[in-house]
Amino acid sequence: MNNIVSVKQLTKTLGNIKVIDHVSFNIKKGEFLAVQGPSGSGKTTLLSLLAGLEQADEGNILVADRELTSMKEDELALFRRYNVGFVFQSFNLIPTLNVVENIALPLFPEHISRKDMFERAGKVAKAVGLTERLDHYPNELSGGEQQRVAVARSLINEPKIIFADEPTGNLDTKTGQRIIELLRSLNSDREQTMVLVTHDDTIANESDRIIRILDGRIASEN
Amino acid sequence: MLNVMTIGLVTLMVITLNSLSTAYREAARLPFEDIQGNIIIQRNGNVPETTSGVLLSCSLAPIPQELVSKIGRINGVEDISEALSLWVFDPDNFKRVSGVDFHDGFGETLTAKIIDGSIPAADNQILVEKTYAQKYSLELGRETTISGRQFTVAGIVGTAGNEIMASDIYLNLGAAQEMANQSKNLQQVETFNKTDVNIIFVNVSQPDLATVTQNIKGIMTDSDTNVGKTPLGQTVGSYNIYAPQSFENQISTVFRISDKLTWVISLILIIGAAIILARNTLRAILERRREFGIMKTVGFKNHDIQREVGEEIFIQSLVGFLIGLAASVIAIVILSRTTVSIAIPWELTAYPHFLLANPNEANVTQMHLLPIKLESPQVLVSFVIIMAVGLATSLLSVWQINKLKPMEVMSHE
Repeated sequence: MNNIVSVKQLTKTLGNIKVIDHVSFNIKKGEFLAVQGPSGSGKTTLLSLLAGLEQADEGNILVADRELTSMKEDELALFRRYNVGFVFQSFNLIPTLNVVENIALPLFPEHISRKDMFERAGKVAKAVGLTERLDHYPNELSGGEQQRVAVARSLINEPKIIFADEPTGNLDTKTGQRIIELLRSLNSDREQTMVLVTHDDTIANESDRIIRILDGRIASEN
Repeated sequence: MLNVMTIGLVTLMVITLNSLSTAYREAARLPFEDIQGNIIIQRNGNVPETTSGVLLSCSLAPIPQELVSKIGRINGVEDISEALSLWVFDPDNFKRVSGVDFHDGFGETLTAKIIDGSIPAADNQILVEKTYAQKYSLELGRETTISGRQFTVAGIVGTAGNEIMASDIYLNLGAAQEMANQSKNLQQVETFNKTDVNIIFVNVSQPDLATVTQNIKGIMTDSDTNVGKTPLGQTVGSYNIYAPQSFENQISTVFRISDKLTWVISLILIIGAAIILARNTLRAILERRREFGIMKTVGFKNHDIQREVGEEIFIQSLVGFLIGLAASVIAIVILSRTTVSIAIPWELTAYPHFLLANPNEANVTQMHLLPIKLESPQVLVSFVIIMAVGLATSLLSVWQINKLKPMEVMSHE
């Protein structure tokens, strides 16, 4: 398999602390990768660097054949729009938009009709089992449903890689398991590359590979 | 919603205040609508010892033709009319008599009010004010005596008693001058030549009004023009010049606002609104940090978010302005039903107060509906100002949005 992510000597300093310290690793296309580590170890920072949400201080990040460290802010925004999907622990839905609008959010800056936009969002919503909830607002949904909306939103532009930061952290075990099953099925059915930050060993054990981070460095890989 | 209401309120205040200011300035011109002019000039004379025969009304002094000509030559003077206002104390009754050139500006305004009959064609023909005509049964063609001379009623005129130069009888200026010249009582207190008048109406284009007024003042105080003493020994030179500004000062209601004050208040309102809008926008952006963070995360460029926020601010500004404009229209309709009272100086509607049981009845007040209207330049200026404030607020939001880092926002949640 080809590498979709290639990281070399990546370093990020926040204040006086090296949050990521000369990290190098690869992620293969279609891989389901879990990133683990204690709180403050640098997992989320690593994820945001890989997704182009933060600028690295040193090193190189090649994602989908694009070098992120040389990109400007607007280029990174476009890169995120077309190449990357996000799923957060706290869902991060916009409360004033309904389900279909939240799913279609990454399409808003595009010059496509609302009809086409919502048609595409509807198809993705169907894939994650939200067809019946399209007109609902986030506060009318359960935690699991909100996370499904977030997953659907991350899929709308058919990204090359999805980053999920503790996607089950705000969900009960059963609902969390369903979300992981959903992500797993997307990974296997669509060969969607997944990078998952999690504290949960059970979830991590379901992944293809686990990278353990400690004090900004890779402690182990298996 | 707060932004919309703030913009609406500011629009309402700015448009209404400016319209009020303009309306009061317009109201001050209304008394001049009766006279085809915007400056009235009189000179003060001597008080006669006895009130009998023909006298110059209100103890006004004669104005010689040289002075009329000098004023007529001032740059900016478009038209000049003259008249002679007399009090005639005949044995049977008292009459206010005005000598008028029926073909000059003032004369044409007067003859436009003829409701019956025609313009006097000869020196022995007169126009009679309708109420006076009814009181003394002076129908068309009837004869009447003024200071021992016979006159025929040529027309009835519908002038109102509170108009400037309102008189009971109007006759040719030459006939009135002849009458004044031959009045012994008058000549005892003033030296009246046959071509003298005692009131001048000057029509000046609006932009030249202040300059012309100053020039007239210069001429009126010029020692060459006003040399000598009156027969009773008083120094010549005291004069009255009435312009719309004279009446502006008389409209002393709490609503009369000067231009400068209006602009100061408008400026304060606009600055206040800008501060409120800026504060609200900053607060809204802070409240929406997470939303903008999410948008950036999923691939919105700064420009995409700025455009969206800019559109929101534009719509808020537009809706607020339209609400304010609608409220201004309502306010102006209500205000247009209010009246302004303008006290007309005694010399301009001369009636001898000593003939009245209650001297206060001689005071004349004109009541006018406030001529307030929605002025399109004011609407346009308000719109431009509101949009400029909206643009400034948008720029502020651009600066805030650019500073926003998505992961910082997300990690704070």
